[in-house]
Amino acid sequence: MKPIKIVHLYPERMSIYGDYGNIIALRQRMSWRGIKNSVENIEVGSKIPPDADLIFIGGGQDKGQVIVSEDLALKAEQIKQFVESGGPLLAVCGGYQLLGEYFISNDYGQLNGIGLFNVVSKATNDRMIGNIVVQSDRFGKLIGFENHSGSTEYIGRAQPLGRVVKGFGNNPTDKLEGIIYKNAIGTYLHGSFLPKNPKVCDWLIAKAIAKSGQSVKLKPLGDSLEKRARNSSLGRP
Amino acid sequence: MRSLFAILAAKTAFRINRLTGTGGTSLPGMVAQKIDKDILKKLVKNNFPRGVIVVTGTNGKTTTTKLIADILEANGISYVYNRTGSNMERGLITSVALESNIVGKVSAEVGLFEVDEAYLPRVCRAIQPNVILVSNLFRDQLDRFGELDKIARSFRNLIEELDSTQLVLNADDPLVASLGYELENEKKVTYFGVGDYSGPKLQHDRTADSIFDPFTQEKLYYTQHYFSHLGKYRGKSGAFRRPKPDYQANNLKQNGIESIQFNINSASNLVELKIPGIFNVYNAMGAFAAVKASLNLEDDQITKAIAGSAAAFGRSEVLNYNGREALILLIKNPTGLNQIIQTYLLTEKDRLLVFIVNDNYADGRDISWLWDSALEDLVHYKGKILVGGSRADDMALRLKYAGKVDVLAESNEAELLKLILKHSSKRSKLFILPTYTAMLSIRSQIVAGDELQKEYWQ
Repeated sequence: MKPIKIVHLYPERMSIYGDYGNIIALRQRMSWRGIKNSVENIEVGSKIPPDADLIFIGGGQDKGQVIVSEDLALKAEQIKQFVESGGPLLAVCGGYQLLGEYFISNDYGQLNGIGLFNVVSKATNDRMIGNIVVQSDRFGKLIGFENHSGSTEYIGRAQPLGRVVKGFGNNPTDKLEGIIYKNAIGTYLHGSFLPKNPKVCDWLIAKAIAKSGQSVKLKPLGDSLEKRARNSSLGRP
Repeated sequence: MRSLFAILAAKTAFRINRLTGTGGTSLPGMVAQKIDKDILKKLVKNNFPRGVIVVTGTNGKTTTTKLIADILEANGISYVYNRTGSNMERGLITSVALESNIVGKVSAEVGLFEVDEAYLPRVCRAIQPNVILVSNLFRDQLDRFGELDKIARSFRNLIEELDSTQLVLNADDPLVASLGYELENEKKVTYFGVGDYSGPKLQHDRTADSIFDPFTQEKLYYTQHYFSHLGKYRGKSGAFRRPKPDYQANNLKQNGIESIQFNINSASNLVELKIPGIFNVYNAMGAFAAVKASLNLEDDQITKAIAGSAAAFGRSEVLNYNGREALILLIKNPTGLNQIIQTYLLTEKDRLLVFIVNDNYADGRDISWLWDSALEDLVHYKGKILVGGSRADDMALRLKYAGKVDVLAESNEAELLKLILKHSSKRSKLFILPTYTAMLSIRSQIVAGDELQKEYWQ
C-alpha cells in the first residue's frame, strides 16, 4: 500500500498551541493499524505537493499570521481544489480563521483568508479561554480547550461542527462552534484536538485513504485511555 | 501616615497567617496595598543604596534569583528577596514590608526580586530598578500570559520609559536579545550567552518560537542551535544578529546529573555548577552578568559563590521519601520539560518516573503543551512510568501516543504515593516531575513524612 501523505502547513509559524498532537494522533492511529504514513512540512515559500492526502494547519501568533496570510493567497486555488475533490483537511484556531474570508486583527489590520470556509473573524479585546465541550451530530461529544480573541461568524451557507455545551466556540453569543465543508473541518479546539477526539481522527484518516485512491477498512482500536481522558476532562472547570 | 498603617497591617497579617498556619505570602501584601496603593513604590524608594535587581523571563527565574542571592550572601552584601517565588506585586510588597521598620526603612543594601512576566511593567514602573535581567521567553501558559510577541512588546514599551535602568539580556534568545536593539534612549545593555554545547540533544524539539528576525520576519540562520530557539543566529538581510556576549560560557562539561562545569570568557575562569544542564548554565550566566553589571565584585568572588549554590525549592531539589532518593523537577511548559528530559531522563534511564500534572489556575488550565514536549525521546526509557494529578489520564494518553505502554495513572495523591512505594524499593531513586501546584502538594507530603521519620528515629 502507498503511504498516506500528511501535509503540515506552516509548522514553524503556526504551531504554538500544542497542535503537534494532531499530527502525532493521525500518524499513530495509522501506524497502529499498519498503515504507512509520512509528514511533509510546508513553510512559507514552498509548494504543497500534488500527492497530498491530508492537510493540517494549526494556530500561531498574530504576527506570524500576517506572513502566512500572504503566502496562503498563493496556495488558495490548490487548497480549494484539494477540498473540492474530497481531500480531508483540519484547520485549528488561527488556521481556521485564515481559511475563512478574512480575519481582522487588533494590531495588523485585515488579513485576507482564502475563502474556503464561509466565515469571517474579528479580533476582540476579550480572550475566550477555557475547557470546551461541543455536541456534534456527526461525531458526538467533542472535547478540547479554546484560547482565542478572534470572534467568528458564518456568512452565507455554513454547517457548524457542533453546538457548544460548555465554553464559547465561534463567538460569545451564537453557541455554535467550528465548520464542516465537504471533508474539511475548521475548529477552535486545541487540547490537542485529535488525541481526545479519536472519532474525528479516524474519520480524517478514512477520508485520506480514500483520497489516495486506496481502500482499507479501519480496524477499531481499543481507545480505553482515550475514553478515560475524555471522561476526566469533562469534570474539569 | 497611610503607608505606616499599610506596613503595620502587612506585618500583622503575616503574624496571623503564621499563627493559623496558612503561611500565604501574598495576603499581607494585598492588605497593605488595599490601605496604600502606592506602598510598593514607597517601600522600595529611599531604600537599597546598592541597587535593585529584577529577574524575569519564562524559565529559571527562581533558580537565577537564588543564585544571585547566594552570590550576595557569600560576599557579605545584605539583601531583601522574595525567596518563596511569590513573584507578583503583592508577593514583593510582603517581602519588603516584613523586613522594614514601621516607617518603611529597610537596612538591606540590595533589593532582589523575581517578577512574573505579566507583572513586570507594573512592578518596574513602581520600583524603577537599576537592573532588569531577562533570561528567556518561551511559550508558557498561553491561557494566562498570551502570546510571546505581546509580552516582548510590553517589555519593550517599559524599557523605553525607564531612564536609568540597565538591561541584562540573553544574547542567545533572539526575542530577548532584540529588546536591546535600536533603543531610543541611551541604555547600558549587558549580554550573556553560551559559546558551544555538545551534550545530549533531543530528537523531537518542537518548541522553537522566536526563530524569525523580529525586524524583518525572515527566518534566522543558525550556526549553532542548543535547544528551543536558543543558539547562535543571524538575520538574512537585516542588521539583526546575535549580539556578542559580554559574558560567555564555554567548554561545557556535564558530570552525569550531578553537576556541570564551564568557564566564563577564559579557561582560567572556571565554574562548577551543582545543578546540571545547559539551562542551568544560562541561569548561572544571567546571575553572573547581573551581578557584574550592578555591583563591584571580582569574577572569582562570584564564581566561588555559584559553585557553593544548591538547588532552589522544587527545582532539582533532592528529598528523601521513605528511604528513596526523590529528585523533584518542576515542569510547567514544553521547553522546561524538554530540558529536564534532555538533562536528566536521557542521562539516567532506569529510575522510576513520576509525572504529576495538575490544571489549576497557577499551573495553567490548558494542558495542550504536553503534546509539544519531546516525550517521544523517552522511547528508550526502560522503567515503569507513574502519572498523577488532576490530568493524570491526559498524561497517560500523551505517553501512549509517545509509544510508552508501561504507564499507570492515579489521580488521587495518597494512592499515587502508595503506588510509588509499591513500584520502588529502599535505596531506589525517583524522578518526580510535577506541575506547580502538584509540586507544592507532593513536596509538603514528602517533607512532612521525612520529618516524622526523623523524629521517630531520634
